[in-house]
Amino acid sequence: MSQLEPFLAFSAEVTAFPIVELQGTGQAESYLQTVEDIVGTQRLDRLLVLYQSLPLATREDIRQARADRLRRDIFGSDELGPIARNIIKLWYSGTWYELPSAWTEAYGPAPQDVTFVVAPSSYVEGLLWTAIGAHPAGAKAPGYASWQWPPHIPPFAGDPAATPR
Amino acid sequence: MTSDTPFDAVIVGAGVAGALIAKQLTGAGLRVLLLEAGPGTSQSFNGYSRHLQQFYGATSKSAESPWPPAAAAPQPDSSDLRNNNGYFVQRGPDLYGSTYTRTWGGSTLHWLGVSLRMLPEDFRMHSRHGVGRDWPLGYNDLAPFYARAEHELGVSADVADQRYHGVSFAEDYDYPMQRVPLSYSDRVLGAAVDGMTVWFDHESFDLKVRSYPAARNSIPRGAYQPVGAVDLHDDGSSNPPLLGGRCQGNTSCTPICPVQAKYNAGKSLAQADRRYLTMLVQAVASKILVDPANGGVQGIEYKRYQDPASTRFTTAVAKGRVYILTAHAVENARLMLASGLTGPRGQVGQTLMDHPALYAWGLAPLAIGAFRGPQSSAGIEDLRGGAFRARHAAFRFDIGNDGWRSTTGAPDSTVSEAVMSQRLFGTALRDQLANLLSRQVRMSLAIEQLPDPANAVTVDPQYLDALGNPRPVISYHIDDYTKAGMVAASGVARALFRRAGVQDFSESGNGSWFPSVYYQGREFHYHGMGHFSGTHAMGDDPQQSVIDPDQRAWQHHNLFLAGSGSFPTMGTSNPTLTLAALALRTADHLVATLQQ
Repeated sequence: MSQLEPFLAFSAEVTAFPIVELQGTGQAESYLQTVEDIVGTQRLDRLLVLYQSLPLATREDIRQARADRLRRDIFGSDELGPIARNIIKLWYSGTWYELPSAWTEAYGPAPQDVTFVVAPSSYVEGLLWTAIGAHPAGAKAPGYASWQWPPHIPPFAGDPAATPR
Repeated sequence: MTSDTPFDAVIVGAGVAGALIAKQLTGAGLRVLLLEAGPGTSQSFNGYSRHLQQFYGATSKSAESPWPPAAAAPQPDSSDLRNNNGYFVQRGPDLYGSTYTRTWGGSTLHWLGVSLRMLPEDFRMHSRHGVGRDWPLGYNDLAPFYARAEHELGVSADVADQRYHGVSFAEDYDYPMQRVPLSYSDRVLGAAVDGMTVWFDHESFDLKVRSYPAARNSIPRGAYQPVGAVDLHDDGSSNPPLLGGRCQGNTSCTPICPVQAKYNAGKSLAQADRRYLTMLVQAVASKILVDPANGGVQGIEYKRYQDPASTRFTTAVAKGRVYILTAHAVENARLMLASGLTGPRGQVGQTLMDHPALYAWGLAPLAIGAFRGPQSSAGIEDLRGGAFRARHAAFRFDIGNDGWRSTTGAPDSTVSEAVMSQRLFGTALRDQLANLLSRQVRMSLAIEQLPDPANAVTVDPQYLDALGNPRPVISYHIDDYTKAGMVAASGVARALFRRAGVQDFSESGNGSWFPSVYYQGREFHYHGMGHFSGTHAMGDDPQQSVIDPDQRAWQHHNLFLAGSGSFPTMGTSNPTLTLAALALRTADHLVATLQQ
């Protein structure tokens, strides 16, 4: 059974980009593969199972409880937190960053764990560029003279800076 | 050893100077042999695109990242600087911070494209300010060649913006293309800064955020045709450019313009008359063979390699009527010295200069849209000239459109900081990145440096590259004249940020590592601008200079050394336009003499 679906669900929540935009990058499969190759399928499975066990955020008070659990159980975990943070950075910049040495000492070795750009296309598809209303340096150029206007930073669901209705 | 057919001219180095001379000479029907030490992979559009993919996939997006060296033609790399373990052997006391690229097209493949003329006073530093030395040429001598160079390189600017500090233009002249539009960031900064007054002693200067001339294609004037991407094939055929007729705002002038809307030397080579041009890539010039009786050059020995990954080579000798070194300020000097040619009073390699530059960076009070547009589109030019140059260096500011990329490694470092240190994720992370990255502002403060014989490229038989060619050994220090310029420039930057409401991070300690110098109790982190110059300076006096105003070696009647190595002083402009103008002037001289 592919872990793609829960991987995308987790990725969407921690990057604040909807699943459809994550899929639109064309990178989902290779990112999942990258994480599995480096930290192992079982460890990633544990992270995703834990994620799926979080309370569903249907009400405001439960939403807070879910965020607390996410922070405590996944990002706060010595073992899973660094992996979760690396998944965010993968999506934002297309780069796998070498895990902290404390992680490798406790849970390693992870022989493929070096800093690398997953693929030329993953650099180009980094989410950070969309998040800041720009484009990756050297790709997806917006066109002549576009730079003379203010940036368009796209709104997103749950944006804490957005004016409440 | 084998001998090649004689040519009218043998040119060493397929960078901007060599390309312009090759184009002019072949255009006059003169037979040219062009030797390039590096590979020719950027000649075809497919090959160029592989360099782009290499950049996308590189972990470090440095200026060199798309342009790896061949094993037989090593080059300096900015990542070597900290441990001083690269191609350069740096003897100090300060580190020379710049790099260049040995490949077909040269360092114009990753230059920013700034195409400023030097100021009239830059040519007369000694008589005007009592420092440095005078050029044997003046602004008016070079002005017609500047105009031609601006057309060869395809420079976008409006003359109306460029008349300052005595820079003048012919009455009916304008640049071949309209100025590149200022970025939103430039306009926000300009609204706050324009009219700000700076005092140096009793002299005042009003600052202005000004569009600078850029060799990036914009809207053409009149009949001018912008030149786009190069696509040359091995059989000598070429395809017309499908891309690059206009800057698209890739924010990647350095290290690679994906569409070649920015000038690179390949564009001039693509316009050379192929009937008269023979190009040999992967051919490393290793020795200039000189007739000891009269100093005349009899040939240039070169080492040819078949595989960029290998150091196996065969040796041959190129012969022509004249020889023109356009290999780079450092490589020209290195080749001369490797051949035992030290020039009058041993001046070859001496008076190496750069523009040691400081960064100033901060957060604007509103989203100014960093990481968009050409990498920069404006500068502050008002402090490039003035009576203060008797006491301290002049400088210019380049105002970036690429956030804190060069100062801190943003945007990736900003993402890492937010995720790893601040432990952000989800909506809070995305909100923070949008908020921070779109407000990042960066200026480069490029400071003038004077010629000093102690700053020199030398060779030493104990330091050889893989082919057995000597590596450049560099002695370099930054003197008080330049350091006092750093004090002045950083003070202006600070005041400018204050006036614009920019939160200043320049002293925050969050910058990437750069070499330091100390002055009056302060530490200045500086970086190189890639503006190598002065290593074979021109002059009127055969005892006090290496070459004459035509860039001919005083001691070798058929040898020319062209490029920024020819500059007696460098002012504050980046050297490319001036060296292009000098190359065109030398090409005229060569055509006139060789056609006799």
